[in-house]
Amino acid sequence: MKLVTAIIKPFKLDDVKDSLKKLGIQGLTVTEAQGFGRQGGHTEVYRGAEYTVDLVPKIRIDVVVDDSIAAEVVETIVESGRTGKIGDGKVWSVSVDEMVRIRTGERGIEAV
Amino acid sequence: MIAVTNIPYPSWLNTGDNTWQLVSATFVGLMSLPGLAVLYGGVVQKKWVVNTVLMAFTGFSTVLIVWVLWGYNMGFGNPIGGGGGTGIVHFFRDMIGMPHPITSHFAEQNQAVSGANTLIPFHFPTATLAYFQFVFAAITPLLFLGSVIGRIKFKAWLILVPLWSTFIYSVDAFLLWGGGYFAGQGAVDYSGGYVIHLSAGVSGFVAAWVLGPRLKRDREHGVPNNLLMAAVGAGILWLGWNGFNGGDPFYAGIDAASAVLNTNVATAAALLTWLLMDMWFSSQKKPTFLGAVNGMICGLVAITPSAGWVNGYGAVIVGVAASGVVWVAWNYLSKVRPFSKVDDALGVVYTHGIAGLLGGLMVGLLADPGMIQYGVTGKSYNGPGSFSIDGLFYGGGFHQLWEQFRAAIWVIAFSAIGTYILLQLVKLICRGLRENDETLMVGDLAIHDEEAYPRETFAERIGGMGSYDLERESS
Repeated sequence: MKLVTAIIKPFKLDDVKDSLKKLGIQGLTVTEAQGFGRQGGHTEVYRGAEYTVDLVPKIRIDVVVDDSIAAEVVETIVESGRTGKIGDGKVWSVSVDEMVRIRTGERGIEAV
Repeated sequence: MIAVTNIPYPSWLNTGDNTWQLVSATFVGLMSLPGLAVLYGGVVQKKWVVNTVLMAFTGFSTVLIVWVLWGYNMGFGNPIGGGGGTGIVHFFRDMIGMPHPITSHFAEQNQAVSGANTLIPFHFPTATLAYFQFVFAAITPLLFLGSVIGRIKFKAWLILVPLWSTFIYSVDAFLLWGGGYFAGQGAVDYSGGYVIHLSAGVSGFVAAWVLGPRLKRDREHGVPNNLLMAAVGAGILWLGWNGFNGGDPFYAGIDAASAVLNTNVATAAALLTWLLMDMWFSSQKKPTFLGAVNGMICGLVAITPSAGWVNGYGAVIVGVAASGVVWVAWNYLSKVRPFSKVDDALGVVYTHGIAGLLGGLMVGLLADPGMIQYGVTGKSYNGPGSFSIDGLFYGGGFHQLWEQFRAAIWVIAFSAIGTYILLQLVKLICRGLRENDETLMVGDLAIHDEEAYPRETFAERIGGMGSYDLERESS
């Protein structure tokens, strides 16, 4: 099993989610995240006082998949999450040793 | 038996006037609660919401108790020295009204009178007038709350507000409205540009200086927690001002209508002025919502001293001039001493102090003698002539401007010195005016055991009120 994690632009969530569903992915976890990369931050002004905000809001997607489709999942996220502009985010995957469905106790790929 | 019809209206009572006065008073009350409470509560950091809002609610409460027991008559009762006399003796002997309560059945229900010889008799009872005047007394300390948030001890606030209301507000109210020296000399303040806004701006600035700045971290990271709440508060302030200025002719007539319209015209002009200046001259060149709110407040404050005495053109000029000047002060004067050395947290000295001063002076320029405040004829009218003000631009000469200037100097000096002395007194009583730094780091949770946005998931009930249910289920 592989854990695929993607950091994407928030407004790209629907595109990425839909294309993963089309691929047959049965579940994923989405988290609102803050981060910085080459995109850098932005400035906000409240009553004339300027603030720099280094961290940019992102969406983090975590999905565990079978080894056989992991590469395809990564590719799908890259394609559906891309705008071509700076700040599109990253995708990576790591190996997963153990997985348990809490309700039933099923283990391994059955639990995905 | 003979049927008796009791009409519950004494001959002096006018139901329209009484209704409008009570409605106006309620509007002005809403400007404090929730208006200012949520405007300030929305603009402060997340960790200061509860503290800010609770100080607003307690300030409102303490002023009301003071008001009915002695404050109202200090501001609007009979002069303490009995009136008469001239010059400096008269000034200090008759600086305030004789303090006594208005809580008896007679005091509440008789026809309202004022220590000042008003041009028309009031057509409603003292309870109406006292409540109307109370909501003005109450909002004044709540305005300068914006200067001292984020470090003042809660206990110090509880003690400062009744003292300030008694010794500062009552005196200025009496001198300008209650028939004291400046009123006698001809200085005017339609609804409180001086008594309320200039005084609050100066007092807040002095208090911020005495208290010292907020924590460095708070100043560096002090972003608002909820702009939508700030929008709700700002909107209530604007429309609430219809009562603020519309109630001050004390009758539901023509001048009340003019005052309401002029107030809104000046405010719209001021909001747009600040917005455009932000778009053209600020370093970011962007329109900002909180900038527009600042402009809105400048307009509301600046039209307050003149609302029913200027015409519509005057109202536009008041709005544009006040907003433009305060914008420049906000962006440039704030970098010059003493402004650069005092942490006036929400900038009350600019949007209330400077705007109130400008508005008060503009009465001396823009008041139109054709705008008649009292012009009742017929048998219900028992005073001399109608009342209006003529400013410099309407052939009135420099007299009015000079009186406005002298009254402003008094309000600035008295509010500054008086607030300084009261703060030293409160400092002695409370052993310091500031919460300690550890408390300031935490904010609401450390002071009140409450936070504005608690998270249910992380909170588990361990006791307190209603703990019966918990015990029963665990046994």
